[in-house]
Amino acid sequence: MNETSSPPAPTALDAAPLRVLVTKIGLDGHDRGSRLVAAFLRDAGHEVIYTPPWQQVADVVTLAVQEDVDVIGVSSLATDHLIVPDLMDALRAAGLGHVAVVVGGIVPEQELPPLLEAGVRAVFGPGSSRDEIVGAVATWGVEARTAKLADGGFAR
Amino acid sequence: MTTTDHTQMTLPGFAAARDRWEGAYDRQLDDPRTIRNRSGIEIKPLYGPDDWDGSGYLDRLGFPGEAPYTRGIYPTMYRGRTWSQRQLIGLGTPADYNERIRFLIDNGSTAISLLPCNSGFRGLDCDEVPFPLLGTCGTVVNSVDHMDAALDGVSLADVSTAMNDPTPFTLLAFVLGVAKRRGVPFDRVTGTSNQSDYISHYVANHMFYRLSQPGSRRLLVDHVEYCRQAVPNWNPVSVVGQHMQQAGATPAETMGFTLSTAIQYADDCMARGMDPDEILPRFTFFFDVSISLFEEVAKFRAGRRIWARVARERLGARDPRSWRFKFHGQTSGVDLTAQQPLNNIARVATQAIAGIFGGLQSMHTDAYDEAITCPTEESARIAVATQNLLREEAHLCDVIDPLGGSYYVETLTDQMEAEILAVMDTIDAAGGMYDAVGSGLVQTMIGRSALAAQNRIDAGEEKVVGVNCYRDDADGVGPPPMRPDAERMRRFVDDFAAFKSARSHDEVDRQIAELRRAARSDDENVFARVVDAAWSGVTHGEIVAALRDELGFGDPLIVA
Amino acid sequence: MTAPAAPSVAAATTAFERLRAGDPAALARALTVLETDGAEADALRRRLHALVGSAVVVGVTGPPGVGKSTLVDAYVEALRRRRRTVAVLAVDPSSPLTGGAVLGDRTRMGQHTSDTGVFVRSIASRGHVGGLALSVPAMLDAVDVAGFDDIVVEAVGAGQSEVEISRFADVTVVVGAPGLGDDVQAIKAGILEVADVLVVNKGDLPLADQTAEHLRSMLRLRSTDRVPDVLTVSATERRGIDELVDAVAAAGRDRGEPGAGPRRRATELLRQRALAEVERRLAGDGLAGAALADLGAAVHRGEISLADATEAVLTRCAAIRPSQPADDGGDEPSGRDQR
Repeated sequence: MNETSSPPAPTALDAAPLRVLVTKIGLDGHDRGSRLVAAFLRDAGHEVIYTPPWQQVADVVTLAVQEDVDVIGVSSLATDHLIVPDLMDALRAAGLGHVAVVVGGIVPEQELPPLLEAGVRAVFGPGSSRDEIVGAVATWGVEARTAKLADGGFAR
Repeated sequence: MTTTDHTQMTLPGFAAARDRWEGAYDRQLDDPRTIRNRSGIEIKPLYGPDDWDGSGYLDRLGFPGEAPYTRGIYPTMYRGRTWSQRQLIGLGTPADYNERIRFLIDNGSTAISLLPCNSGFRGLDCDEVPFPLLGTCGTVVNSVDHMDAALDGVSLADVSTAMNDPTPFTLLAFVLGVAKRRGVPFDRVTGTSNQSDYISHYVANHMFYRLSQPGSRRLLVDHVEYCRQAVPNWNPVSVVGQHMQQAGATPAETMGFTLSTAIQYADDCMARGMDPDEILPRFTFFFDVSISLFEEVAKFRAGRRIWARVARERLGARDPRSWRFKFHGQTSGVDLTAQQPLNNIARVATQAIAGIFGGLQSMHTDAYDEAITCPTEESARIAVATQNLLREEAHLCDVIDPLGGSYYVETLTDQMEAEILAVMDTIDAAGGMYDAVGSGLVQTMIGRSALAAQNRIDAGEEKVVGVNCYRDDADGVGPPPMRPDAERMRRFVDDFAAFKSARSHDEVDRQIAELRRAARSDDENVFARVVDAAWSGVTHGEIVAALRDELGFGDPLIVA
Repeated sequence: MTAPAAPSVAAATTAFERLRAGDPAALARALTVLETDGAEADALRRRLHALVGSAVVVGVTGPPGVGKSTLVDAYVEALRRRRRTVAVLAVDPSSPLTGGAVLGDRTRMGQHTSDTGVFVRSIASRGHVGGLALSVPAMLDAVDVAGFDDIVVEAVGAGQSEVEISRFADVTVVVGAPGLGDDVQAIKAGILEVADVLVVNKGDLPLADQTAEHLRSMLRLRSTDRVPDVLTVSATERRGIDELVDAVAAAGRDRGEPGAGPRRRATELLRQRALAEVERRLAGDGLAGAALADLGAAVHRGEISLADATEAVLTRCAAIRPSQPADDGGDEPSGRDQR
């Protein structure tokens, strides 16, 4: 796994499950991996909003807004990771910069830096274990939720 | 009488000898554990004449080229004609593709397969997708001109060209346009519409899913009808087991689902009045070949045996050519790893052996860097060389069905047959493959098998070298990924734009209107209109968009 | 809308104002809050109650495999053609073992993602036995306040969700399909009673008309004044959908005067909360749980009638003050503050 920094220690917030969007952007359609990850996350107690492949970046942003997600998991085979920076820009422009984005699949070493620079929290290559992935989603998700709730919400 | 009794009668002293061995085995074995293959069948340490004694030879095996074809579909098999070395190729622009196939033909490839860019699989033209994604996994072919450039210097009358071409089969339309330009009669055009199996795209690997289920169903039958009359030596149907196995179906499940799909397509064609003997000789199959060597051999032998029976008894075919199970095998990318990629050369060689012993008619071997990138010239060459040396140096072609008669392989073939038939019964009970996938039954079964397989890997029960054993965490940075030349691609996209504006817009509009009209009608052949449109310069994306509009497009049912 | 005019999003300074202006991010956040318990959710609910308007709530339910999601997709299409804004709440069950869920209903409605007049939210039942989430009635208020004309709640008919939906929906649509044995399903307790509109989907299949006829004849056997419509549609072929929209509109008009919907939702919210609280108190080791065990034994010994014992249990439940946890003494002095 490659990350910008180690995820923060989890803090106990409300007991509500994390909401995780699992999606594929770009052109590839192999979704065995993303389906497995969705099942792992469900088994770990999270709520997974699962989309078919070939989502447009703008639609992923809309989904993230409507579903008020804490984490977005992007599954990428082939070369779809090349447009993940576009997704990061779109999320920030929509005020969703706090949402944790992780990428799973095959990303050649040489092409990792642009993803991490764009704000992707972690990239899970082949051989990443179920525990690694689920653990990271949980801790990054809690951090994202804390950041989101810091704006006071409906208390005002 | 059982096989055991038979053996006891003909081989006195057999039981005593076997018991002696079992005793010694049990005493010396530290860790007695149950071993199962990927299909869940328990594998014993030793098989003998008490498992299989050849008494059913003529019924169950027969001779090559005769029902039930267990040992091979032709009398000569590879002694007469080796399998086609048909490497899947696709990268960049048509010119890039043409360079690569000429290189491979010089190095031993005997047939062609064209893999279009993912944008094409999505039904889009090159000017409709983000530029960085173009041509990274396949070749961009959106028009007859593109196909002409891709097949420059390739004799269509002599070389079989398989097109990875889901409904509505625009690539075949482009190929026919090229044949027409070059004066090649259509009955000389040979090849296969790979990925014509729309049901498999709905279930797994949604890569190729393009039109709604009902629309695809109609188009497939139109396609078969058209080819039957106009391109009689082309295989319009390739029933694909690959996607389901890659998505996690066990080998037995895969064969069961695939045969059920073939039955569905045959039924659909016969419902439109076609005779089984008119269509079944041109039904082909496409499978993944995994590294579970003996299981794959047994899977294919069982498949041949079952199809021969199904074609004759269930579908009513009388011509022996209809009973022959013809298939292309692709070494399974799912078994390959990104870690320590050179190990994949050994994996692919093992998978290729499984395919050869399994009796395939055509094979693609993966390049070792398949898990990471589109193959480089060197890795592509090694992939073809693998097939060459298995043939020339290991002499794997010298004996037909060399594993036939093995106590293990014959027993396993029978067991796989039982598993496969059970799956087919489940599909029948659900109303056939079309309805079974509509209800999500098949997806659920595959999902269960996928999760079970992942659990076995996570628990270390299933070992993958370099991944959960023999790891080398100091794995270096691999080779840089192959990307098409950006300059060339930019020029290519610009030329395409110029081509589109130079066309007669009236003619394009007229063709699209005809296409839509045919799609709305009940009895016109939509594929014939696809061909007309393609020849008049309507592009791939325009054709797919028009048909999506008329015939529908919905997301495939995801069962998570 | 009967509420006072909503501010525009640009002029809004607080989250609540943005919600009233129809900002999808604010609505989404409100829905998240309403799925939790606590002060923020309580306060938000109160503010919403004061403002709810006139959105029409349609519940769509039926057994798995009948094509509900595809039907909802077509239904939303038809509403959009009539220029109505619509929100969809799609409810799926949470795993009873892990508490997690995979929510995939909205994959059928992908065509509406880029339409700003449509809002789709996936909801997990979060352990609610009936199959719907406890917070759905409150979430409907938030969507209503955000200004949507129509709200569709879609849930699988499992447990008692059909009956639950009918308690807070303005119109309840029950969907069946031919050949699924849905005539058996239909006579399962309560479904025919609660449906305002019955739909037989997959109308292209041969048995569809027969199934519709069967349902009609079962409905005629009931002795009530209102007989629901039975429609045959094909969601995939988009046939019969406009008729469905009309049937729902007609049934809605039958249901009561404006404001009846929000009141009904608030009542259902209260009913669910009250039942859940009784369950919680009875399940605990405290006074009510102990009383349950004692009274159960007394019933078994024949010392008290079931009716009297029931009254006694309920009284015990009520005796626990809301400020104290269930396992604290209701009448006995303790170190804690008693109000």
